[in-house]
Amino acid sequence: MTQPFHLDEQIASVKDKGFLSFRTGELPTWCPGCGYFGITDAIYKACLELGLKNEEICAVSGIGCAGRFPVFMNVYGFHTLHGRSVPVASGVKLAREDLTVFAVAGDGDALGIGGGHLPHVARRNIDITLFLFDNSIYGLTKGQSSATTLYGQKTSSHPSGNPDTPVNPVKLALAYGASFVARGFAGDPEGLKHIVKAAIVHKGFSFVHITSPCVTFDKSNFTWNNLKENHSPIDTGLHDPGNMESAMRMAEHERFKIGIIFKDEKRLSYHDNLRQMALKPK
Amino acid sequence: MSRLDLVVEICGSAGEGTISAGEILSRFMSEEGYDIMSFDSYPAEIRGFGKCVAHTRISRGGVLTPGKFADVLIALNDIHSIGQLSVLKEKGVLIYDNKPARYHLEDQSVVGWLEPGMTPYGIPLTELSIKASGNARARNMVALGAFSALFGIDRDAFTESIRRRYGKKQQAVIDSNVNSFLEGYAWTLENVRKMDSFRFDGMSAEVKRDQLIINGNEATAMGALAAGLHLYAGYPITPATKIMEIMSKELPKRGGIFLQTEDEISSIAHVIGAGFAGERAMTGTSGPGFCLMSEFTGLAVMAEVPAVIVDSQRGGPSTGMPTKHEQSDLNIALYGGSGDSPRVVIAPTCVEECYQAAVLALYIAEKYQTLVILLLDFFLSNSIKNMDPPTAPETKYLNAHIVPDAEALSDYKRFRITENGISPRTIPGTEGGMFFATGLEHDERGKPVYDTVSHTRMTEKRFRKHKGIATEIPAPEVSGYEGDADIGVVAWGSSAGAAREAVEYANEKGIKAACFSSLFISPFPESELKLFSKRCRKILVPEMNYSGQFANMIARYLERPMERLNLVTGLPMASEDILKKIEEIEYL
Amino acid sequence: MPSNDHYVIIGNGPAGNHAADVLRKNDPDARITLLSNESMLFYYKHKLPALIKGTIGDTELSVKGARDYKEKNIRLRLGQEVERIDPRENRIYLKHMEIMSYTKLLIASGASPRVLPLVSNFAKHLKLFSSFTDALNQIGDIRNGRRYLVLGGDLVSFKFVRMLKSMGKEVDCLLYPDAFWPFTLTKDMAEAVNKSLTKDGIRVLSNDGLKSMNQTCEGIDVVTDNGYTATFDSVYAFLGMVPNISFALGSGIDTDRGILVNDHLKTNFNNVYAAGDCAQIYNPDIKSYWLSVGWKNAAVQGAVAAENLLGAGYVITPSPKSILSVEGFTVDTSWWENFD
Repeated sequence: MTQPFHLDEQIASVKDKGFLSFRTGELPTWCPGCGYFGITDAIYKACLELGLKNEEICAVSGIGCAGRFPVFMNVYGFHTLHGRSVPVASGVKLAREDLTVFAVAGDGDALGIGGGHLPHVARRNIDITLFLFDNSIYGLTKGQSSATTLYGQKTSSHPSGNPDTPVNPVKLALAYGASFVARGFAGDPEGLKHIVKAAIVHKGFSFVHITSPCVTFDKSNFTWNNLKENHSPIDTGLHDPGNMESAMRMAEHERFKIGIIFKDEKRLSYHDNLRQMALKPK
Repeated sequence: MSRLDLVVEICGSAGEGTISAGEILSRFMSEEGYDIMSFDSYPAEIRGFGKCVAHTRISRGGVLTPGKFADVLIALNDIHSIGQLSVLKEKGVLIYDNKPARYHLEDQSVVGWLEPGMTPYGIPLTELSIKASGNARARNMVALGAFSALFGIDRDAFTESIRRRYGKKQQAVIDSNVNSFLEGYAWTLENVRKMDSFRFDGMSAEVKRDQLIINGNEATAMGALAAGLHLYAGYPITPATKIMEIMSKELPKRGGIFLQTEDEISSIAHVIGAGFAGERAMTGTSGPGFCLMSEFTGLAVMAEVPAVIVDSQRGGPSTGMPTKHEQSDLNIALYGGSGDSPRVVIAPTCVEECYQAAVLALYIAEKYQTLVILLLDFFLSNSIKNMDPPTAPETKYLNAHIVPDAEALSDYKRFRITENGISPRTIPGTEGGMFFATGLEHDERGKPVYDTVSHTRMTEKRFRKHKGIATEIPAPEVSGYEGDADIGVVAWGSSAGAAREAVEYANEKGIKAACFSSLFISPFPESELKLFSKRCRKILVPEMNYSGQFANMIARYLERPMERLNLVTGLPMASEDILKKIEEIEYL
Repeated sequence: MPSNDHYVIIGNGPAGNHAADVLRKNDPDARITLLSNESMLFYYKHKLPALIKGTIGDTELSVKGARDYKEKNIRLRLGQEVERIDPRENRIYLKHMEIMSYTKLLIASGASPRVLPLVSNFAKHLKLFSSFTDALNQIGDIRNGRRYLVLGGDLVSFKFVRMLKSMGKEVDCLLYPDAFWPFTLTKDMAEAVNKSLTKDGIRVLSNDGLKSMNQTCEGIDVVTDNGYTATFDSVYAFLGMVPNISFALGSGIDTDRGILVNDHLKTNFNNVYAAGDCAQIYNPDIKSYWLSVGWKNAAVQGAVAAENLLGAGYVITPSPKSILSVEGFTVDTSWWENFD
């Protein structure tokens, strides 16, 4: 049995100053070249820049490659069940409003097995941030089709091509009434950091769709090269995130539009709603 | 009659005030110092004129079961009441409307089906209601008046009770109810000759105005609230919905959170999230919902997160019989879910115990950082009893967090292997107490590991918690014959009341029978059961399921042949059925 | 061929029960319903004094139990009073407001104690005694009381008087020979009765009548025409019977004192018959109606009526003269013999 390699010594010197203070000593289990490294770095940096304290953050994840995220983040981490990060995170937040709560889910997690929870967390506007790590494949079980796998793509569960049409996660989130919808790209950690910061600050349910390649099981579609080609930043001069029609156009764009797609800042979060209803005469 | 014991049924169709008449009667009897137990039945369909039966047992000597048969049937609706005659005792009394608004067709009149030996009292309910209140809606109150006159119940005390019941309503509503009651009382006293032998004597012996009159769902909710419940997440399902409705009203008042979720998976997910966050949380459901939760039951055990699930059992499998009683979720409560997962299962035997059980459930879940299942059933959830207001739980039950000290925090191991299986736990927000919890097997720090040694040690640690819990469970309730008995009845859940009553009856008949039941099913008071078993020539296990789930469970402790009584009638266990079985096997 | 008939019998006495048995035997598939306004199962009326005395219980009073009806598939409806009959529509209206239909009907509703005009001024003080309900209602009064007055007007009264005496009560008997029922007592008979009762320690008031009665807290103060005064706990009247036919009045069924039937026991409706104490039977020989009396006659008539409802066509004739010695005198009455 090999001894696990700890990064403790190496990161100790920069821990207090830099974003690595949000990093645990665990060695990530993701494949070399995985997009998820970039995503985690962006989240660490966002937390650092927002001045959040480690112990006031709860990161709740489901099952899959993305589910391992809390193992590597130095916060209160809870690795739950396949598809259930959203309701568990919602439970944490409802019980403890003072905590900053992340739900982390992969595409199979949030859009497949756990898809039923999305409309409800969105309509309740519970103040958590969902990071949807979308690599369009079931990576941990070695390459089966997911809800975002492209039509016709050959996978281990569909060797002759995926017969199902993929969902558009951003369009779903908009349709479900999420009060904050954004898309980031693992290959643009700096841009993603700004999106994550805005999502965390947003009071209400924030949906952050993050595209990433699976370098091991998808050699044809969501590759680094293809994704880079397909992404384009939103022209902030032309798009108003307060405008749903415009947001829908962004969601339906033939390319992956990167940035804040929709934001409703007037809507009350679940806790604020409860407080306001308590004030109303019955 | 030395010990008053009367079962009254009021039968009518929805909208005739059947259930409210039953409630008024039982409330009054409770105020007068009687013990009452009610078990009403409603139509399964919401619309239409379905059959309602308000069933109340009134007794002086304590009530353990609602009774299978009725002494008095008050028929507000003839067609529905005809079917109900089958539960009227041989010498039962029927109070019926002998002047309805129109003629009944042949065989559609309840008195037409009366068996010889029963006593009918025809009262012009409709006519008197119209006379007293201007409409026929107060027939239920006329009937209560007639009942009171026939059975020697204090008219004025009852009138006062009705006034209190309708206290907040408009004066006209109070008047029409009270006047109708008095009209029924006066007419009956004047016109009816008493032919049966039932009579209430010594009314107002001990007036008890502060009694709670509640069902098992309400008692459970009260207990959970008293124990400091902070979050309740639920999804509507019969027969547990009432708990959710109480929580939606009560929790916001106390700064707690109520959430109606999209499904039962989300309910338990929220409970576990809140438990992880350090707050007391609970959900309530029935069998089908519990099935959806079973994956999470394993997570609560594995990640060591407190969680309480109330499962009010109903007829199954699948959607089964939502409005019928059964005790058939014991197996899924004990063994449902994947892997080796030690379960704490509490099954209250009566309404009063539901309160205590809810307090214990939240306490044990928090202290031992694990899942506790509270098994109610349709009967417990819906049967109403009067009880003294419970005393608030002791402080030790209100905060049971075991947190790490400064030394432990300096090198914090969330899942430290300990003797009692409990690892001190940090609550999110605690500086330096960060940890990672997972449903994967893990080492003491929570890091996923799959090696032989870790899995063995961690599994043992999780099971060790039960030893500690076993020291905190209440002693089993043992009743009946105290020496070497012929029959030892071992019962669980709501069937235990019927078992105790049956044993009482058997003792009166000279049969040496005793009864054993435990609030906790897991961990179970194994050694006490073995002691009990030793002094019983035969063991009988009555339960409301077909396969004998409880009998199968205790079989591994007793290793002896056992008699079983397995019923799936959809009705609560009746002491009559257990007594019959006791008599059957006594001489075998 | 299965019968679609629904036989309804009004009355749960000897006539009704015998009729039901005959009907069931001959028509196994028919619906048979037996209606009674009393709640008690078919019982021996002549055993009621013993019930009061406490020498027998409820069960010994019954002729047969409820199970007998279940086995024969006879629907027994107790405690259900008939309000009226509509023989043209074949309908029975029950007092609790239920409409029943029949294809064939037998009225066997019996008779009840009557209150004669000569004592009607005192009706509110008089107690009648003929049914189980009466017995139940009066059992307490009789057991607890000390002194009773019995207005003796029929044969049942003698039975009752002796019952009271045997319970150690003080009993006065005011005899009405003219109003005796179902026949007038001759002078000889009245004297024989007087002698027989007196011998047993009962004070017999003959050639006397009631002058006044007053309820006081002590009891009922009675003054007779002859000036005899005494205070009694209760006063019982046995002045004969009157057929229970009020529900048939105005229905179209011919009635007089009883339900008028021919010597086949058929009324003026082809599917309606009457038998027992409620029937007034035409005798072609004497060209007049006669009232049926007594348990045995009722039983026979019930059976005959049932046979005829089934199509037999039997004829009933006045019962053969059977001379019996009762209370030390002889009387023409066949109905008494089954009474003891």
